[in-house]
Amino acid sequence: MLDALRTIEEEFRAAIDEAGADPERVEAVRVRFLGRKSPLTALMKQLGKLSAEERPAAGQAINQLKKSIQQSIEEAVEKAAAGALEQELQDSSVDVTLPPRSPWRGSQHPVHATRRELERIFRDLGYTIETGPEVEDDFHNFQALNLPPEHPARDAQDTFYLEGDRLLRTHTSPVQIRTMESRRPPIRMVCPGRVYRRDHDATHLPMFHQLEALVVDKGISMAHLKGTMDRVWKTFYGEQVKTRLRPAYFPFVEPGAEYDISCQVCGGEGCRVCKQTGWIELGGAGMVHPAVFEAVGIDPDVYSGWAFGLGIDRIAMMRHGIDDLRLLVENDVRFLSQFPT
Amino acid sequence: MLVSLNWIRSLISCDAETDEISRKLTDRGLTVDAVTRHGEDTVLELDIPANRPDCLGHVGVAREIAAGFGLPAPTPETASPSADGNKMVEIDDLAGCPRFTASVVRGIKVTPSPRWVVDRLEACGLRSVNNVVDASNLVMLETGNPIHFYDLARVQGARLRVRRAEEGERLTTLDDIERELSADMLVIADGGRAVGLAGVMGGAETEIREDTVDVLVEAAYFDPQTVRRTARKLGMHTDASHRFERGADRNGVLAAQHLARRLLTDLAGGKPELELEDLHPEPPAAVQRTLRGSRVATLLGYRPEAAEIKKALEAVGLSPEEAEEGVWSTTIPSWRVDLLREADLVEEVARDLGYDRIPAMRGEPERLPIGSRQRAADQAEERARDLLAHLGFHEAVSYAMIGPGEDQAFVAAETPAPIPLSNPLAEPLSALRRSVLPGLLKALDRNIRRGTRDVRLFEIGHVFHDRSTGLPLEPARLAIVWSGASAPVHWSAPVPDVGLSDMAGVVEAVISGVTRNPAPPRDSQVGIDAFHPAISASWTADDAPVAWAGELHPAVRDRLDLPSGIFIAEIEIGKLAAGRPLPAQYRPIPRFPSPARDLSLVLDAGVRFADIRAAVESVPSPAPSAVDLIDRYAGAPLEEGQVSLTVRLSLHPTERTLTDEETEGYRAKVVQRLEQVGGIRLRD
Repeated sequence: MLDALRTIEEEFRAAIDEAGADPERVEAVRVRFLGRKSPLTALMKQLGKLSAEERPAAGQAINQLKKSIQQSIEEAVEKAAAGALEQELQDSSVDVTLPPRSPWRGSQHPVHATRRELERIFRDLGYTIETGPEVEDDFHNFQALNLPPEHPARDAQDTFYLEGDRLLRTHTSPVQIRTMESRRPPIRMVCPGRVYRRDHDATHLPMFHQLEALVVDKGISMAHLKGTMDRVWKTFYGEQVKTRLRPAYFPFVEPGAEYDISCQVCGGEGCRVCKQTGWIELGGAGMVHPAVFEAVGIDPDVYSGWAFGLGIDRIAMMRHGIDDLRLLVENDVRFLSQFPT
Repeated sequence: MLVSLNWIRSLISCDAETDEISRKLTDRGLTVDAVTRHGEDTVLELDIPANRPDCLGHVGVAREIAAGFGLPAPTPETASPSADGNKMVEIDDLAGCPRFTASVVRGIKVTPSPRWVVDRLEACGLRSVNNVVDASNLVMLETGNPIHFYDLARVQGARLRVRRAEEGERLTTLDDIERELSADMLVIADGGRAVGLAGVMGGAETEIREDTVDVLVEAAYFDPQTVRRTARKLGMHTDASHRFERGADRNGVLAAQHLARRLLTDLAGGKPELELEDLHPEPPAAVQRTLRGSRVATLLGYRPEAAEIKKALEAVGLSPEEAEEGVWSTTIPSWRVDLLREADLVEEVARDLGYDRIPAMRGEPERLPIGSRQRAADQAEERARDLLAHLGFHEAVSYAMIGPGEDQAFVAAETPAPIPLSNPLAEPLSALRRSVLPGLLKALDRNIRRGTRDVRLFEIGHVFHDRSTGLPLEPARLAIVWSGASAPVHWSAPVPDVGLSDMAGVVEAVISGVTRNPAPPRDSQVGIDAFHPAISASWTADDAPVAWAGELHPAVRDRLDLPSGIFIAEIEIGKLAAGRPLPAQYRPIPRFPSPARDLSLVLDAGVRFADIRAAVESVPSPAPSAVDLIDRYAGAPLEEGQVSLTVRLSLHPTERTLTDEETEGYRAKVVQRLEQVGGIRLRD
């Protein structure tokens, strides 16, 4: 009996191995070894012939083998099913290297993207964003900024004039004037916008973008200018950036300064971009000139303030490695699409 | 200004290296733009700020260098005016010419200049002419005070008069150009005619020639505004006018006279006459200013030692006296025309101690507001920008200046005339735009010419509408141009080119994206010439148009030499942004099935989808209803002009499930209503 069982098991193992993952052949093995005409069924029928002592052990052995065969067949069936699915999936494969259906990607102009980034930094610091007209009068663009008629510093700002006492603003500073006219300190604002100068060559466009910041309150000092700008540029460029102020003249500030940051191309070592100085000039800054406060009716003995201004276009060019100013107004899609949102 | 270091070293004893001098000057606000060699000399190219005319001469620059290195300042010699002598000069216009000095040097001989003179002038960017002309340039470059030499023999009556020009008076200047003068210009005249433009350029008649023997030396102080106005009116800018309009040293004329007389003696063998006439009828009182240490601390954010403040002021030639503790009073020297207020003195202190001394303070006073909300208009523009970029449009920036009339077809008939520029750079940039579209179409044209077929651009910017008085209105506009494919091109299926429906969809997405409300109803009337009269749409809110879109009119397209199939749109983003949109409000999601019924309708010519929508909406429905277009067909077997539309009616009950009878009853009523409209029938 035990010999017979061993033979059946060996035959089964050989058959199931041979059937592999073919579902039909596995089914044939199942019928052969577990069907009504299987050798196990035959052995079961012979159990009656055994003595009462032998019967339980033999029955147990038969059942054990039967269970083992059932389990092996289940496994083989599962394997066969998995193999069949795998085959089906393989047969339906696509060429994944075909170009996918990509949605369009539009872009934001690098100047506007830079402006937004700067606005966001200032807004996080508590600054309001102010705007004003691009067509201005002489008072707001010049006189209130301590640039009376025939002032030689007007030369530096070649102006487009319009009919009447009107002009295209040469800087965003008139927005500072308008804000101070309409609101009492404390003031903490930035004014971004388009400005115009009658100048057109490889390094100047007749229209460009500025951003100015202004803080006015009691006790505001140049140390606040330094600290705030330091924070702004570290946020914009990273903690490695170094900043400095140098004396300079702008009629609307006193003391006045040029504002430099360490060159972000060479890290301050000196290179072509920074003309070997290690510094890049960002813009003008200083303490609001008392004549400016007087023009808007703020007492310069009570209040003080700092102001800062920069050209956004230049920052955007440095930021994105753009080497030709004209690209900014040509609106070539092959250029614009390099700045996807 | 070009500065010769050899020249500087002849004025002060400074043995610092060029690099050190360069750095010191830059740190003091006189930026060194370039350093070059000129023979044995080193030349610094200095960027002199407009408020420092004193540094437009080597003495002034030497003063700054001396202050920077703590060296004794240069001490130019001055001539002494004679108490009473030859009266050669009269001043008619004291406002234009507050001070005039004149003297005579006789017996000069005009020759080429010696080498050192040629070298110095060339180092400073001037060409040598002859010993006499060179002498006047040396005086200007050393003292910063321009002077002028007259050939005394050619000065009629040997007398000069400073007066306003006569209207239409003519004067041929040194550059041999005959100029017509006006009555607000200041001239130097002799017994007969104008012989020089005061502070700008001398006249040709009295200029120094080969045969000149006696020279009249003029060293004067002219009113900056008068000089500037004269020069600008005549389109002139000279070394002299550059200095006078910034403010020459009113008392420096005597040092200039002294140096001129000495140079004419040394270089041309001249013999100065003793008399030096100094017409200065109203010498101004010495300028006194006060500086409070507390003000220094307020503006700089730190308080220097009293001794440092005193030293800083003395370094630049001031004479501070501590009037009371922490308060200094000082006389301002005549050459520092920029030191007008206390803040100017604060800058002197800051400059001397170095801007690096200013600490960096983070926290501003606590009174200042913290955090700020974005303005509604900025928020709207930002949302529109993000939305369009995500839809595949590229943001453009174009000039606000366009050619005259270029925008005529793009604005409504009632739009005010464009504002012209008085001094444009060029004709194509000579008026302010009233629509953003012309600039954007130029960009589209450029892209197409460069071989890009699919172009989608947008721009947000101001347009300018003139008013009868004051500043113009500057409404913010968003413009879109679109040519080529209507969707991303893919190999799986052909993509049609852009049509009105694509552009209208984008416009409505922008409107609802900005306002967080559905776009207002679409209308077919645009009323702007540049739009195709049939293939265009407009949107109106509160009785005013807020957007218009359509195909570029073929006539305009041909005039601009553009290909067909270009769609354009302009949106009054400023108007849409007027209110901050409220947060979107939640409505319950229907929990009951939404039954739908499709109707195939045949429409006669002239009947529009909007008529169907209106009819459907007029039928009372058992639950909130919607009507959507799901198919459109034109062609056989329909008649010419007819279209077949398949619309889907759907009901969205919120309270309970609708019965089939209710849905069917609704459908029947809609069909009945549609058939009453006229021109609509249910397709068999």
